[in-house]
Amino acid sequence: MTRVFGDPVDVWTSDGRPVRFVWRGRLYRVRRVLEHWVTTRDWWREQHPDGEATGEREFWRVEATPDREIGVYELRYDAVSDTWLLSRVWD
Amino acid sequence: MHLHVASAYSLRYGAAPPAALAARAADLGLETLALTDRDGLYGAVRHVRACGAAGIGAVVGADLNLGGGERVVVLAEGRAGWRSLCRLVTAAHAAGERGRPVATREMVGAHAEGLVVLLGPASDVGRAVAARRPDLASRLLARWRETAETVIEIVDHHDVGDGHRAARMLALARESGVPAVLANAVRYLEPADHPVAQVLDVTRRLVPLDRRHLDDRTGHAYLKSEAQMRRVAELACGPDEAEALLAETRRLSERCVLDPGRDLGMDAVHLPEVTGDPQARLAARCAEGMARRGLGGSRRARARLADELGVIARKGLAPYFLTVADAAALIRSRGIRCAIRGSGAGSLVNHLLGIGDLDPLRHDLVMERFLADSREGLPDIDLDVESARRLEAYEALFDRYGADGTACVSMMETYRARSAIRDVGNAVGLPPQEIDAIAKAFPQIRASQIGAALRDLPELRQSNLSRGRLDVLFRIAERLDGLPRHIAMHPCGVLLSNATLRDRVPVEQSALGFPMSQFDKDDAEAMGLLKLDVIGVRMQSAMAHAVAEVARTTGEEIDLEAVPRDDPDTFALIRTSRTLGCFQIESPGQRELIGRLQPWNLDDLVIDISLFRPGPVNSDMVSPFLDARAGIREPDYPHPDLEPALRESLGVVVFHEQVLRVLDVMTGCGLSTAEAARRSLNQERGQAAVGAWFRERARARGYDEPTVERVWRTLTAFGAFGFCKAHAASFALPTYQSAWLKRHHTAAFYAGVLTHDPGMYPKRVILDDARHFGVPILPLDVNRSAPDWHAEPVAEGGPTGIRVALNEVRGISDAEVDAIVGARPYASLTDFWRRARVSRPTAERLVLAGAFDGLYPGGPGGEPVPRRDLLCRVGALDRATARRSGPAVVEGQLPLGDEDGDGDPSGAGTGLAEPVPLGELPPMTPAEIVEAELDVLGMDVSRHVLGFYDGLLDALGIVRAAALPGRPAGSDVLVAGVKVATQTPAVRSGQRIIFATLDDSTGPVDLAFFESVQERCAATVFGSWLLVVRGRVRHAGARAVSITATACWDLNTLYEEWRRGGIDAVRAAMARRGPQVRPVGRRVVQPTGFAMSLYSDIGHAGPAVKRPPRAPLWHTSGGSSGPAPD
Repeated sequence: MTRVFGDPVDVWTSDGRPVRFVWRGRLYRVRRVLEHWVTTRDWWREQHPDGEATGEREFWRVEATPDREIGVYELRYDAVSDTWLLSRVWD
Repeated sequence: MHLHVASAYSLRYGAAPPAALAARAADLGLETLALTDRDGLYGAVRHVRACGAAGIGAVVGADLNLGGGERVVVLAEGRAGWRSLCRLVTAAHAAGERGRPVATREMVGAHAEGLVVLLGPASDVGRAVAARRPDLASRLLARWRETAETVIEIVDHHDVGDGHRAARMLALARESGVPAVLANAVRYLEPADHPVAQVLDVTRRLVPLDRRHLDDRTGHAYLKSEAQMRRVAELACGPDEAEALLAETRRLSERCVLDPGRDLGMDAVHLPEVTGDPQARLAARCAEGMARRGLGGSRRARARLADELGVIARKGLAPYFLTVADAAALIRSRGIRCAIRGSGAGSLVNHLLGIGDLDPLRHDLVMERFLADSREGLPDIDLDVESARRLEAYEALFDRYGADGTACVSMMETYRARSAIRDVGNAVGLPPQEIDAIAKAFPQIRASQIGAALRDLPELRQSNLSRGRLDVLFRIAERLDGLPRHIAMHPCGVLLSNATLRDRVPVEQSALGFPMSQFDKDDAEAMGLLKLDVIGVRMQSAMAHAVAEVARTTGEEIDLEAVPRDDPDTFALIRTSRTLGCFQIESPGQRELIGRLQPWNLDDLVIDISLFRPGPVNSDMVSPFLDARAGIREPDYPHPDLEPALRESLGVVVFHEQVLRVLDVMTGCGLSTAEAARRSLNQERGQAAVGAWFRERARARGYDEPTVERVWRTLTAFGAFGFCKAHAASFALPTYQSAWLKRHHTAAFYAGVLTHDPGMYPKRVILDDARHFGVPILPLDVNRSAPDWHAEPVAEGGPTGIRVALNEVRGISDAEVDAIVGARPYASLTDFWRRARVSRPTAERLVLAGAFDGLYPGGPGGEPVPRRDLLCRVGALDRATARRSGPAVVEGQLPLGDEDGDGDPSGAGTGLAEPVPLGELPPMTPAEIVEAELDVLGMDVSRHVLGFYDGLLDALGIVRAAALPGRPAGSDVLVAGVKVATQTPAVRSGQRIIFATLDDSTGPVDLAFFESVQERCAATVFGSWLLVVRGRVRHAGARAVSITATACWDLNTLYEEWRRGGIDAVRAAMARRGPQVRPVGRRVVQPTGFAMSLYSDIGHAGPAVKRPPRAPLWHTSGGSSGPAPD
């Protein structure tokens, strides 16, 4: 089933791609990138766009595993704040 | 490397200019760059030149619309590919409706030679892959392979699903054995540019910004480096395939690099075919010309001709001159007035071939400014023709040189402040009225100046626009600066070439139906094409109209070219500065200069026109020249050797030609080299190099240090702002001719000027000038007015008047004008209604403007039938017509006979169901009549609009224009009038000075608002139509007066105060303090030391002044008789 989260996670990347992340104290290893996409922000809706509206959000849907069980996790990277979130989980 | 790149020449799609893309590609270390704009090659020549400058290989293609959102990219390989690409783009434009080109696969097949088709995500194959229809995708791919050389294009912008689709696309390529390349479908330079692309996406679709309307949702359509591209491919297809894709992409890029010379033909000129030996034919025609112009005996002329023919032979330009001579003769043979302008007037060959009418020897014009061994490319000949018949001239040229060998030149209209604000305003969803108000608040500046203007200009500071809320709007609008938004026909350029033109130039149809090159004038020149500028000049039309009016009314045939050019009466008129309506010398500044310079002959006019330029003004040449001319000061020559070159302008450098001569005298370099040096003076770098060269050569020839420095200072100050004497001379001729017409055929002259509106003033000012010259203004009359303004003798032997034209009626159509003139005369309003069949609004406007007053002058001793009664009757007629026969009037259903022919329009006996009784409505007051005239005709015909304010103006002690010359210099005055012109020209101090002209019924009042008063005056000056101004009198010359303004008010606002509280209230209103003084923006200092306000020489904020505003001008409360002089 799908669960939606918005938990901040710590992510290690290699060449821009996530390879490991820590969620709720557990380390997950990324086995495979299933999908990767990017969206720009809706800068025209934002009240006080801080300077230029260049920030993009990068989404990674990955197969990852803390141990033997494999789950699908969606990680979101916000370029403006330089932060990662775990946005969705299928397990 | 990049094979799929849209520049800003993909209108409302791409966001980067070709030069920026090429420079960035070179910075990224790429070796090639393609430009594949959407449905056109508008940017191709720029791209090729920019790549050349950046040292990378240029690939050119087009991203073609195949309908239904389907697109493919075609790339050109070699010369054959370029030819196919041009013809394919032309075919796509011919197939679609104008502005919506559509290509087909068959069309691509028909031009397949040298083309490579890239099938990307938007192709039918790409869409089948996206829809997971591999079978269909294979079939479609096979079809393309039969059509042309085909390559699969992999694109991944990282949108949802992009990566998977790219992988499946690659798999298809591998299965079918079709090569695959990697592309990025580039739209802008860098990631931060994506908001611009997003605004363009919604602007193109005319929808507000919303994610679902965007093509670009990821911000990744930028020019990526090779490493970034590799990463894209690795993510989608894996590292091995990424390497293979890059290799294949590189291979295809290198194959498709075009050579500008060999493939595009940029290394040669492509002139129309000329039979026989062109040089011999040219020499023969020049010899004939020598005899015809009576120059055969002149040794000087023979030597000059030999010189010119020598240069022409060395440059192989004989076919060019024969072609232009042929074109000019062709235009004249249609009876169209045609004059040469610009440097071409300096060539004796042009004079002998009949291209130009001025004798360059007589006016001492040099040819090197036009034609010299040191000048590259084709010389430039410009022809001025009557503006009203310019298209006729075009048609003649198309007939003569064939549709295959001829095309008009296009030009790109680009985003400026107002248009950018409008488009971005729509994109962010502001209400239309609000967008309109914001856009109009800005002067006509570049979009990139929006922010600066909000800070700098008092008229904007006082609006509330700069208060945050619209921040995003302005920021994005600034970034649209200079992007092309619309392709239009260049107002004058025509390409004349041979049958290979369509192999070199893509062509589409202009709005007027002419074949139009997708290249602009610079591109055409780079492509080695002959561009003839056929410039529509309204003054030429105005003079043609005047000449025709003289012939029509008196039978006298005037040949303007044969009129003696030394008529003392004409120069006497010019010296009075009453030159409104004349070519070149009607602006306030020119009238002032004319007043000081006092021209006595054509040469004086040449100097006058040349002096009225930023250059001479900047280098302070005007005063020394005028002083020397007036004998106050001896002419001052930097060195006696320079006296021959500078004598005509009394020691002052005025002309380009004099720069050449001075350089030649001081360095001995010859005029051709001098011309090359003069052109280098324009740029800072060139100026330094020329300076070193000049000093060395001049010193070597024995000129002392102070002289050399002094001459050099003069030359640099003169800089790029001087004037080509040949150009001034070709302008002086129509200037003189127009003044001659004004002096000797005054009514016909005004008829011409009012019909073709050549000048800077609203027509009502010209009309008022006509009144001052004693020309009766005859009102609009359905039985007498012609489509255009006519001269009309008022009585046998009496003065000739001018009759208001039907075309002046607001909203009247050409068909209605023709119908009115065709069915004349009319016996009554009913008669008119039945036979002229104009629309009801037109009939009503005709009534209001008095066009039927002549039909109803009133019986013996009776009052004329009031216009209001006639207006009711139009309504009744309209309703009767509608009732009887529906929308179309059917002849025979209306009663026959002339029911109201006796001047009784009451409707009795006409069969109308609703007779309109006479005399129940009050007649229109003079004020209402003038208001109606302003509304319908845009000008006050019956009397001057200011007349209605006389009471107030007298109470205030306003000084009239006619009385101003009698006021002592420096005295404080109040003036008032209708604003007829505002200008912000570049001036010596670099201030932005607002020059405004008021018309107060006794003449023009010229005003100058310096920056110190603009904080409190600018908004009123730009925003109001009727003004009261306080200022100090300044005398300029014997008669000319101008006012240095210190304060100004809107006349209607004061009038309102007057009605409310009398003169005390007015005085109180005028005493209120305005805002504080702040400087108006920055200065730009040119390399020549010429300081200029950023806001000089631009269209100002607010509505145009050519027509009065469409609002009530003074307060006519319902049915009152207008302002009472209480």
